[in-house]
Amino acid sequence: MIELSPENIALLWNAKQYGFSDVQIARRWNLTELEVRELRRRAGVWPVFKLVDTCAAEFEAYTPYYYSTYETPSRVRGPEGSFSPFSESEIRKSGRPTVIILGGGANRIGQGIEFDYCCCHAAFALRDAGYDTVMVNSNPETVSTDYDTSTRLYFEPLTFENILNVVEVEDPIGVIVQFGGQTPLNLALKLEAAGVPILGTSPKSIDCTEDRKFFGHFLNEMGIRQPDGGTATDFEEAVEVARRIGFPVLVRPSFVLGGRAMEIVYDEDSLRQYVARAVEASPERPILIDRFLDDAIEVDVDAICDGERAVIGGIMEHIEQAGIHSGDSACVLPPRTLSDRVLAEIRDHTKRIALALGVKGLMNVQYAVQHCPEEPDGRVYVLEVNPRASRTVPFVSKATGVPLARLAALVMVGKSLEELGLVEEPGVKFFSVKEAVLPFVKFRDVDPLLGPEMRSTGEVMGISDSFAVAFGKAQAASGSGLPSPPAEGETKRAFLSVNNRHKSALVPIAKELRKMRFDLVATEGTSETLAENGIESERIYKVHEGRPNIVDRIKSNEIHLVINTPLGAASKGDERSIRRAVIEAGVPYATTMPAAKVMVEAIRHLNSDHSKEVRSLQEWHRVNRGED
Amino acid sequence: MPKRSDLQKIAIVGAGPIVIGQACEFDYSGTQGCKALREEGYEVVLINSNPATIMTDPEMGDHTYIEPITPEYVAEVLRRERPQALLPTLGGQTGLNVSVKLAEAGVLDELGIELIGAKIGAIQKAEDRALFKEAMERIGLKVPRGGIAHTLEEALAFVPEVGFPAIIRPAFTLGGSGGGIAYNLEEYKNLILWGLSVSPISELLIEQSVLGWKEYELEVMRDQADNVVIICSIENFDPMGVHTGDSITVAPAQTLTDREYQVMRDASIAIIREIGVETGGSNIQFAVNPKNGEMVVIEMNPRVSRSSALASKATGFPIAKLAAKLAVGYTLDELPNDITRETPASFEPTIDYCVVKIPRWDFRKFPGAEDILGTQMKSVGEAMSIGRTFKEALQKGISSLEIGRFGFGGDGKDSWSPAMVQTEAERDLSRQEIIQKISRPNSERLFYLRYALEIGLSVEEVHEYTGIDPWFLRNLVEILECERELIRAVSEPTHAARV
Repeated sequence: MIELSPENIALLWNAKQYGFSDVQIARRWNLTELEVRELRRRAGVWPVFKLVDTCAAEFEAYTPYYYSTYETPSRVRGPEGSFSPFSESEIRKSGRPTVIILGGGANRIGQGIEFDYCCCHAAFALRDAGYDTVMVNSNPETVSTDYDTSTRLYFEPLTFENILNVVEVEDPIGVIVQFGGQTPLNLALKLEAAGVPILGTSPKSIDCTEDRKFFGHFLNEMGIRQPDGGTATDFEEAVEVARRIGFPVLVRPSFVLGGRAMEIVYDEDSLRQYVARAVEASPERPILIDRFLDDAIEVDVDAICDGERAVIGGIMEHIEQAGIHSGDSACVLPPRTLSDRVLAEIRDHTKRIALALGVKGLMNVQYAVQHCPEEPDGRVYVLEVNPRASRTVPFVSKATGVPLARLAALVMVGKSLEELGLVEEPGVKFFSVKEAVLPFVKFRDVDPLLGPEMRSTGEVMGISDSFAVAFGKAQAASGSGLPSPPAEGETKRAFLSVNNRHKSALVPIAKELRKMRFDLVATEGTSETLAENGIESERIYKVHEGRPNIVDRIKSNEIHLVINTPLGAASKGDERSIRRAVIEAGVPYATTMPAAKVMVEAIRHLNSDHSKEVRSLQEWHRVNRGED
Repeated sequence: MPKRSDLQKIAIVGAGPIVIGQACEFDYSGTQGCKALREEGYEVVLINSNPATIMTDPEMGDHTYIEPITPEYVAEVLRRERPQALLPTLGGQTGLNVSVKLAEAGVLDELGIELIGAKIGAIQKAEDRALFKEAMERIGLKVPRGGIAHTLEEALAFVPEVGFPAIIRPAFTLGGSGGGIAYNLEEYKNLILWGLSVSPISELLIEQSVLGWKEYELEVMRDQADNVVIICSIENFDPMGVHTGDSITVAPAQTLTDREYQVMRDASIAIIREIGVETGGSNIQFAVNPKNGEMVVIEMNPRVSRSSALASKATGFPIAKLAAKLAVGYTLDELPNDITRETPASFEPTIDYCVVKIPRWDFRKFPGAEDILGTQMKSVGEAMSIGRTFKEALQKGISSLEIGRFGFGGDGKDSWSPAMVQTEAERDLSRQEIIQKISRPNSERLFYLRYALEIGLSVEEVHEYTGIDPWFLRNLVEILECERELIRAVSEPTHAARV
């Protein structure tokens, strides 16, 4: 144990003034982070909070915007000759009950503005309800770090040490961890263990959904289906699991979140490669293997629950099939192809899960719906449950007019949904489409294919009373506006190249494009399929077959639409150069058949009367409320 | 001057989806703009396609359109709503570009809509590289040598004057998309062709490299009575060659002499006047040659930018809010500072602390993408921290990134430490690798600076390899020295710690 000599105390001051974290000091002094904190407490090496006041303390400041620092205390001589330290914090409190909201920190792929939106709503809602709201965040780009979003703002790192500092000075009735994305959630258990009151769903409930065994058992007990799966630490075990559940399988290491290093594997060879490449798999950190539900429709549900009652906020049907990360997939609210029975099952599952987990606040569930002989309209599987604010909360709120994040914040401080007036799922009378925006143009050497890893940075929304128009608007908003059908005498070309599994599905799409006067350009195999079905197309060289090839044609701006599904798990050089050319030329493209299908449907509607019709959100919400 | 009473309804264009180079800072500025205009009693029409924003909440504006930010759809909204004015400066490059297109296409004139905040002439002068260069020369300021090209042939003509390395930047793109640095003729041709394809007007700026020069930004605001205030100075830790969005930045500027700073201030004031941004905020970037103090103007954004969000958070001075109020006719001296309530907005902020911003990258999400930083922005987010000193703010900033690091190394997560090398040969190998990592900017460079100093490179040597100002490097050395004291306190308990 380190001795608290005057030299070491001085050294602690020095280190803290140089910005050393307790983690760094703990490592150097062979202590735990909490032991360093305790040591500092005994030594009086404690932070003060200073104001950001625009005027270097020349004038009185009224806006409570703080940062912590370590100020060597002035020495005040006490009555009995001892010195007592004095340093000045500039915090002003009102005496009202205080709620701390932990923000999401730096934006990253998978954790962006959506969570800032939720945090801001929590601040607005609780301030209106008479609480002092305290925001802790370190992201300068956000609305949550605007000094008038919350009652008090602490511009601090979202680390255990810095959050505890704020908690100690603020003495809140509770801390909200479920709005800031993964960042505060990762700290929730540790904060709770340190005696910090957490509002809403308990950190244990949030955590247990990540525990595969426990959660599998939990769903089983409730009679809710999820894809078969297992874990493995080496190839032999992996193959055993895969044989039992059947290929294709979704594989991922157990210790990463957000879909990183997740892959869909179609055969034993690829599985062997994955295991070899992947990960130092170990009994503590096995590889997770799940049956991959081929050609299933993915569904995202946001719900709100006060512990007694669960209400569906919105159900979104994805455009891309399951297997594409939900953050990268387009989706539509309300669902357009699911049967009433399937929707009823989804609603029922969602509510039961929320109540069983004791959710107080928001919850998101992802489902896959796969057609099977027993249930021709689709069998419902739960893919993932997240008892916290999800990426889709702002989209759902805008599509329905129900401010879910605001209501959830009030639920967390004890209001019931009944008191808040939300007792049933909001009705929706128009279509809202969300489309992801991907950063591939910035990364020249990356294959722009969608997969189980999220790579989008942002999203856009298109609204209309027609699904096709809403989808077309979302495409236009995402920066790759669809080509309108060529006018009389005008030439527009669609390039088609799909793998064998997709050839039959391509036929109606190609027919539709021809009907709209698009010229079709296709590579050999696709071109033959089209010819067999009596559809005329121009055969074009693949990159290795000669020139001018498809990439040349794209670069010469001769191609206006691309439908290109990947041939296999590994992306081939040829296709990759096509997709790169498409990205750089800004040509709208689809890499999945479902996306291709709705794209063509949207193109057909581009010249319709109301494709350019605009309406304000306020008007749309009046429509939802039945006022228009 | 009081606010304008001839306007009742004002449209604001947002920035659309979050992309690299344009993130939620424009939700922040747009939200502030909406609040500010509504506070003054104006009816606000808002257009933004991004549903995840606070600004598109139905309570923030009077008429909120979640529609594509394309000239077609924005024109549709304007036709339907008939605002008297359009404020184009809060929605990043996207909002500005679409407003310019509508102005140029005559749509705004046809509908009788006035551009407020920045007039079309000022926007063009700031954004068009040729006009900007002329303007700077008129007021006696230097810009890097080079010029404008629209074709490969035109570009090749600049080679003798500009030399290598040469900087290539396409006009009207976000976050430097399509830009780059060419070290030889082959790279030059490739970048020219790529740049021409991504610039919406097929225009490129080709410039003499000022790689390694010190980089600064000043946030400036002007009102219609021609008052100009400097809100904040920002210094880039990473010298020229790394996009500002990918640079660690520090506010206020740390390594300028007062004389140098005053020259930069005067230049900024002259620039905003010459460009003619009548009301609102602008961001002006400078490069300073560390060898002789020569200063050149890199560019000016005649709108609220990522840096102005940072400057607002760094100082407490709400640039976007005031930009909106200036746009409707107020002057800086008429607007109170929210924080003090007593001082007007014409008081320049003073800060008695240090602010550090550090970008966050997600290269691991993009297998195949090279982790090299250049003139095209690649970071997906950023964290800011405040401390009393640069050292404190830097270490807090690293903790804020949530990349599993808890300061400037020494947190058990270092990928290199002196203990890893035993023999001379291993040491040499490490040294080479470290030098390589610090010479070519990348997402890990900050930590490699630590390893460089630990393996025995001097501040002067590291400065040679990186161009990072020795003042910053000496601060890093002080952090390492303090860490050594911490180690000594346990390994040699009798050693009296130096304070």
